[in-house]
Amino acid sequence: MSTSDQEMQKAGEGAKRRSIFTPRTQRLLSIGFVAILLICAAVAPFRLSGYWVRVLTGMFMYAALASSLNIILGYTGYADFGNIVYFGMGAYVTGVLMVTWRVPLPLAMLAGGLFCSLFAIIIGLPILRLKGNYFAIATLGLSQAMREIVRNMRITGGGMGLSLPLLRVDPRVFNLIVYFMMLGILAGVVIISYVVSHSRFGYGLRAIKADENGAAVMGIDTTKWKVRAWAITAFCTGIVGGAYAFWFVYFTPPDVFEILMSTKYLVMVYLGGIGTVAGPVIGAFLLEFISDYVWGRFLQIHVGVLGAAIVLIVLFMPKGFIHMVRSRILPLLTRAGAHEERS
Amino acid sequence: MSPQVIVNGIVLGALYACVGMGFSLVYGVMSITNLSHGALIMLGSYVTYWLFTLWGVDPFLSIVPAMAVLTVVGYVMQRTVINRVMGGEPRITLILTYGLQLLIINGALIAWKGDYRAVTTSYAGKGLAIGSLIFPYSRMGVLLIAIVSTIALHLFMSRTKLGHAITATALNRRGAELCGVDINTIYAVTFGIGAALAAIAGSIATMVYTLTPYIGQPLLGRAFVVTVLGGVGSFAGPLVGGLILGVAETVGAALLGSNFQEAISFIILVIILAVLPRGIFGKRFFGGAL
Repeated sequence: MSTSDQEMQKAGEGAKRRSIFTPRTQRLLSIGFVAILLICAAVAPFRLSGYWVRVLTGMFMYAALASSLNIILGYTGYADFGNIVYFGMGAYVTGVLMVTWRVPLPLAMLAGGLFCSLFAIIIGLPILRLKGNYFAIATLGLSQAMREIVRNMRITGGGMGLSLPLLRVDPRVFNLIVYFMMLGILAGVVIISYVVSHSRFGYGLRAIKADENGAAVMGIDTTKWKVRAWAITAFCTGIVGGAYAFWFVYFTPPDVFEILMSTKYLVMVYLGGIGTVAGPVIGAFLLEFISDYVWGRFLQIHVGVLGAAIVLIVLFMPKGFIHMVRSRILPLLTRAGAHEERS
Repeated sequence: MSPQVIVNGIVLGALYACVGMGFSLVYGVMSITNLSHGALIMLGSYVTYWLFTLWGVDPFLSIVPAMAVLTVVGYVMQRTVINRVMGGEPRITLILTYGLQLLIINGALIAWKGDYRAVTTSYAGKGLAIGSLIFPYSRMGVLLIAIVSTIALHLFMSRTKLGHAITATALNRRGAELCGVDINTIYAVTFGIGAALAAIAGSIATMVYTLTPYIGQPLLGRAFVVTVLGGVGSFAGPLVGGLILGVAETVGAALLGSNFQEAISFIILVIILAVLPRGIFGKRFFGGAL
């Protein structure tokens, strides 16, 4: 998996330069770095086999989901354990609109995202009052309840699942369309995440994470800001859900409300580095790569190996990959660099 | 709706109470949302299953060896793994126990395959009939076990030195440490007791459900609900929470159809959390940290 290796390597290099270059040069460097990554990603599907195109599409999807979750989890500090509810709702709204009213895909996806946002605002007002583990449990309950409700609704096809209209193109072309769609969504979500992170709003959210009462005293309308953050997370997750619906064509409630899936991208956020822009993306590529490799080699024990990977990650880099690079590897590199300069 | 529905609800609730007890203890004392609780219940079920299949031990009797085995498992898990991340980012234990759960379930799948298994006692399906109401013997036993273990846990926590140390740690970790309590040991012991309580639930679950390595998964969700419903830090909380949930589920299923049974418990959960965030008997415990 060359892209993820490169990315990890470059992330390390970029961070190393951070200590040497001025902020402006550093910004130019990171823009250049992202541009190179994007060019690689744009060329990759024409060079790689269909298998890798599919794996990469999955990685983009998880990276986008992890980045969306990071806004409420990483910036605001609310452990949204049942974020999958927005993924499922996005998939179902998109699917139902396309099947029942023949709405074109981009519009249907947008509607899915907006619907999720609206739902987050309505449900967020009572639920975001809860703190810590209680919030995590409530979101978990919400996602399970929504799965059962969707399963018992007629318009969604109930437990029989929903089939979307097939796009009549060559499978290879279809895979390319999905690939670039996911890449575009990932880019969009990362841009949103970056903008949020560097805005007044983002600082407000971090203040809430650090000390909610303190933030309130500083004049932040905490409820409003938390609901807004959750609505952004919901919107992005819903859009990704819509893209998944288009990609997989047929799905049932257990497929898109699968709690294992949201746990997976929650782990990705922690793995990469919670509360950073690049962390969730790196985490997604890393864990998807591990689980894909393990899936291919050890089918019988792949779940166990994933579990072991999670345990080891939590024990040995509890603050995530980015933090480990910054705190352990960078000092070594810069010290070595300084040494060279002197000698 | 017949009164039988209520009776069924109460005996189902007794099982939920057992499921919630260990989860609630671990959550209250250490603030760990133990996602491996379902997997521990499953291990308890398999101990009971093998004792019954190999030596014909009654499931109610095999509660004791199952508890012994699971106490060791829980103690070792906390001592060697979970203690390493205690006191850090609180949500990290959520992820850690999730990983442990995957490991345990996969281990069980390899060891015992995914075959459906059942414990069929000689008194299975028999019950005491009073008028038109039927009280199945095994389910009455479950109710008795739920009540006895609630009282036993209460006595342990309020009458023994170890119980006092656990309560002290839950209320104020630093303070307990200053009084000479070895926090790491207390954590390991608490997790061991939590696992032993999971073993009780596992043993009696074999008489209610079909046994597979996934038997604990739906029960894990119920453990959440029971804990939140009853409130943390009260000995009667899990029992009352479990009974309410059991009755609500069976009544809801009778009124709306069994399709909604699972949805009902989670809708109750969300409502309770929004209206009564500390549950019915909740106290301000370390784990609550509201």
